[in-house]
Amino acid sequence: MLQNPFIYRALLVLIMALLVQCSEDPASDTQTEKFTSIYDNRKFNATYVPIDVQQTPDGGYLVLSARKLTSSNYSGIHLLKADASGNFVREMEVGDTLTNPVARLTLINDRFYFFCMSTNTTALLASVDENLDALSTTNAGGLTYPAATMYSDNFFYLLSYNNESKESVISRVGLDGSSASKGYTIGVGEDVEEPIINHYLHNGKHFPFDIGKISANLYYFNGFFDYTFSLVFTDMSADAPLGVVAGQHDDGGFSAVAHLNGSNFATARFNFGDNFLLPRTALAMSGPSSSTGLNDHALPELVPNAKVKILRATIDNKNVIIYASDTKSGQIGLFFYDEATGEFLSARYLGFANPFEIGNVISTTDGGVAVCGTTYLSGRFPRICIIKLSKEDVAENVE
Amino acid sequence: MKRFYFVLLCCLILGMQAYGQDKKKRTPTTFNKQKKTKENDQFLQKQWWLGFKGGANVSKIDVESAYAIYSPINYDAAETGKQYDEFKHPGSQFSFEVSFYFKGFTASFQPTFQHSRFRYTTDYTWNNSEDASEMLQTTYASEQKVNHLLLPLILKYEVIGNKLRPYIQVGVFQAICLDASKSITVTGIDYASGGTNEFERDPIVVGAKDLFAKYYWGLIGGAGVYYNLGNVRLNLDIQYKHGLSNIASVENRYDNDMLVGAGDVLDDMNLNSVAVSVGCLFPMRFLTSGFKSLDRK
Repeated sequence: MLQNPFIYRALLVLIMALLVQCSEDPASDTQTEKFTSIYDNRKFNATYVPIDVQQTPDGGYLVLSARKLTSSNYSGIHLLKADASGNFVREMEVGDTLTNPVARLTLINDRFYFFCMSTNTTALLASVDENLDALSTTNAGGLTYPAATMYSDNFFYLLSYNNESKESVISRVGLDGSSASKGYTIGVGEDVEEPIINHYLHNGKHFPFDIGKISANLYYFNGFFDYTFSLVFTDMSADAPLGVVAGQHDDGGFSAVAHLNGSNFATARFNFGDNFLLPRTALAMSGPSSSTGLNDHALPELVPNAKVKILRATIDNKNVIIYASDTKSGQIGLFFYDEATGEFLSARYLGFANPFEIGNVISTTDGGVAVCGTTYLSGRFPRICIIKLSKEDVAENVE
Repeated sequence: MKRFYFVLLCCLILGMQAYGQDKKKRTPTTFNKQKKTKENDQFLQKQWWLGFKGGANVSKIDVESAYAIYSPINYDAAETGKQYDEFKHPGSQFSFEVSFYFKGFTASFQPTFQHSRFRYTTDYTWNNSEDASEMLQTTYASEQKVNHLLLPLILKYEVIGNKLRPYIQVGVFQAICLDASKSITVTGIDYASGGTNEFERDPIVVGAKDLFAKYYWGLIGGAGVYYNLGNVRLNLDIQYKHGLSNIASVENRYDNDMLVGAGDVLDDMNLNSVAVSVGCLFPMRFLTSGFKSLDRK
């Protein structure tokens, strides 16, 4: 049989079939599970600072960014649509009359909503469709200086600042702009207001204003109260806060807050430049207390007073907390903790060669994670980037 | 495309089978030849050869799908596309060869260590249309060095001659990635520093085996010449290797943070190369101790 040349040729064909099978197929047109994209603008003086990113119904991404204005100290607004593979699709450079976009970017009935500010400091509720065809705005109940927002039960909850009454204001805002508010004093005197105004003018420290809802009548905001950057608990009806976790004037406080359950929170704290991650800590939601005594994981690798984002996610059937922040080495650090125990699981660092800074981190519909941030091309040009990690990538961090 | 080549090769091989059988039927009998000559001729119709060869190669990349980290929002992506050098950067190869000669045809297995180099550059410019002094031009030069173990099966046909025997060859090969590295050098001119500042940054050098596919395959075509020197056969060999599958790893494309951070990512691509080798072969079958293994026609 082996002397039959046909057998040899059949063997050759078989070997070739094996060769074909042992080769790498080119990627399909859509490489969606994992990618890195940097959205470059050739303009020398263009500056973008991503504030939030959300997935669009078609699997793509919508990025809300602040952009530098030459006509004002306030920041302008930039929107960018990328497809599911991270390829640039479209951008919208919103006119200079709308400024200071505020996270969170929220999808409601095929439109993305966010708050921003007019040049006369009035808060506006803006919305745009996923194709960035047209932007519309609604006056948000006469509120001014929007600082942070979240959406729950058909209402937006907005933290803003009223510079006439010198109050941090928490409001419930409808899609039509109607609002109900409660204000809490920041204290008396020009000095108290100065860091807040500088925050809006990008002329000083950038504060991690935030707002959240714990239950039907219990809310919190991370903002100024009584001369101090504090975490304030309120029912939005009583004149005084239910509870206040005070920081250190404008030098200390929470840099990020996420409610877990009961009185347990995942938080991050800054204090005179130092940074602490507290993946599971019980906070007093009534009465006065201080955050300065809460010391858990000090992270000297983070830049002073680092911007921190917290994402609660379920990865590989485990509930985890992902902290995203900026490292001194110019990378975005992702720190994974077990939500149930607060135990550190692992860390992952994104970026090299050029500096990278966190904008926001979100879970994606395929079980992965998308990190949006700023990278400085050639060390100097701030550009938007999206780093998409696959489900398998992040699963490695929670094993 | 890969399947097309595969089917084409199968047809060629099976066609050779049919042709070979026809030829066998037409072969005249040699009953009138002397017994001794007949034995020698029959002996010389078959020979095993063992040898080695080595030489240099140059490579060219065929891009199947282009990938980039930078996604431009106000200029055409083609302006910052990769520009590959073609057949420019020499690599090397070394082969061990086992061949079986039969009636002018030689089936040859040539395990080869192949070191390939290829390079591409990407240009970026940032400027201000209102201020000519605000401009930065940079060029990212990325060089890849990849080592593969090639397992080629080659069919040669010796065209004519005795002492000097030219041949043509075709074959197929499977390649296994052994090792790879990448280096990125950034150079540029900065006009925004108050003058013309030409700079070159320290290169980024990383191991890159994971960025390349574990296997790829392709076809070989070429020609060469044997020079018979006593019982030794010297060989000058030229091969064109045409890659037919992607040499980049799809799965690990974005896995190297250092490269991704620098804006570099591999395309889906096929590796083609031209290799020139010299070597020698030794016969494995001898009729007598003083017998010249070479064809004495």
